[in-house]
Amino acid sequence: MSTDQSTSLASRIGGGLWYGYVGLVALFFMLPLFSLVIASFYDGQIFSFPYEFTTDWYAKALASSSVQSAVLTTAKITIPVTILSTIIGTAGALAYTRHEFAGQELFKIFALLPIFFPLILLGLGMSMWSNLTGLGYGVLPAIIGELVWISPIVMFVVSITALSVDPNLEEAARDLGADTVTLYKDVILPLVSDGIVSGAIFAFVLSWNNYYIVSYLKGSDITVTTWIHGRMTQGFTPIVPALASMIFYLSLVLLVIAVIIELRGEKIKAALSRD
Amino acid sequence: MSTIEKLQHQLGSERDESILRTLISPPTVFMIPLTVLLAFMFIGPILSIVLFSVMPGNNLTLNPATWTLANYAEIIGGVIDGTGVYGEVMSNTVLISVATTLATLVFSYPAAYALARKIKRFKLLFLLSLIVPLFTSVNIRVFGWVLFLVKKGVLQSLLAQFGITTPSLLYQEWTIILGTTYVYMPFMLFPIYLSIGAISDETFEAARDLGASRYMLFRDIVLPMSKPGIIIGCLFVFVLSLGAEVEAQLLGGGSIYTAANNISYSFGYSQNWPLGSAQAVGLLIITVIAGIVILRTIDLREIASRGS
Repeated sequence: MSTDQSTSLASRIGGGLWYGYVGLVALFFMLPLFSLVIASFYDGQIFSFPYEFTTDWYAKALASSSVQSAVLTTAKITIPVTILSTIIGTAGALAYTRHEFAGQELFKIFALLPIFFPLILLGLGMSMWSNLTGLGYGVLPAIIGELVWISPIVMFVVSITALSVDPNLEEAARDLGADTVTLYKDVILPLVSDGIVSGAIFAFVLSWNNYYIVSYLKGSDITVTTWIHGRMTQGFTPIVPALASMIFYLSLVLLVIAVIIELRGEKIKAALSRD
Repeated sequence: MSTIEKLQHQLGSERDESILRTLISPPTVFMIPLTVLLAFMFIGPILSIVLFSVMPGNNLTLNPATWTLANYAEIIGGVIDGTGVYGEVMSNTVLISVATTLATLVFSYPAAYALARKIKRFKLLFLLSLIVPLFTSVNIRVFGWVLFLVKKGVLQSLLAQFGITTPSLLYQEWTIILGTTYVYMPFMLFPIYLSIGAISDETFEAARDLGASRYMLFRDIVLPMSKPGIIIGCLFVFVLSLGAEVEAQLLGGGSIYTAANNISYSFGYSQNWPLGSAQAVGLLIITVIAGIVILRTIDLREIASRGS
């Protein structure tokens, strides 16, 4: 009995240590983001105690015309990238996961390879290529450039969902007389819709936060991340953390939504497997 | 795909052999957009890097008649000498990448193990705190570290409350390594987390029933089964930290030069595309090899079956 108690105490302490360590790692991951938020609400240029809270920098950031135009430019890039990469990535995922064809593994490697490239390498290659082909620099080249990195990520996310869909459903639909269009419209797409929605959210957040590719292809246009980068190397003003914090809040809300959608999908799957 | 489906497929293609028909039916029609996109804006840029690297200095257009290996000679010569800017850049970059890979491995492994096997409550919250930074712009996160570490920043102000004064923390080699470790740690943590999570509970129970000690469980089950995760993670972190520019620029303050800084300098200020390209080719070769190894190791089917 006493050994029972001591082992349970030991295992509880052991469990607590694991929680403590993962908590520290989580804190490490969030630390710079907390620093941003702390700096963004501080009334003054140099941070010190006692902490003087203000939302002035947010108001100033929102009122600044250069910030407004940067947000507008970013939206002009992000919205087409979200729509197009969702379509392109989903199509790639369906080809890879729902069909068998010669060179399938080769297609996977080719399609997903851009994810593993350092973005600086993609950015500078694209900048030379844009110049060579006459594509030039600006919003359109930035959209095409971001698509190269983001479509494969959407493909990855949708593939994971699509692979967990039972192939027998497809066969059953075909046996019941569904043609290819009906099969996709009524069976496959609804089943992978959760993956497509989270892929689209990831695409939006990644495009909104993209720095390297945009900085090489934007030309004279300024996006939110390049605006922030320009300001932070030129001396400190708290408008920069305020704007950066706002981007962080937006990303956080969207990611929580994406995670909830993913979990909802898992709950449905769990319910189905119980029946 | 079942055998019947395969037969149907073959029969179908025998019935109608028109190329157009194959093109507009899946999977070909689904592959076309991504293939065209990558052929244009992924293969094209890679070719540009390779072709510009054999052009004479300060060229902004390609001229097949003038190709030269002078850029490579300059870089390789500099690296072999170990003196001058290339020697220093090379040793800085390799040092930072190796240190980053080791640091991320050492700090991720226990966390990945705990997340996969020990953490039950608040697991979602922990996972979210690891995912959120991945989706926040890299320069914003590094800027957050600058705000934390800068003179009279968040850390020094907090320490000052306890009467502790610290010297300036920014612009040193270790702050760059801190930054790269921070930025690339999720790429180590998640592959290891997934591979440890793949070990079934039955395996552990069976081993325990057979009298395995904790150390034996770790040495004979956890470590070998997490090896693919470790390999993928190390390749990922090493390659990505070779290309780390913002971290070195903001946290190193220009005092320490890495290959990525040097490449971007050749492109930006000195407008020497051929020289920048030749430096990028080395990084390109390492990236392509590592990417192919990673992608051949990653089994999407396995990840998908684990998620459900």
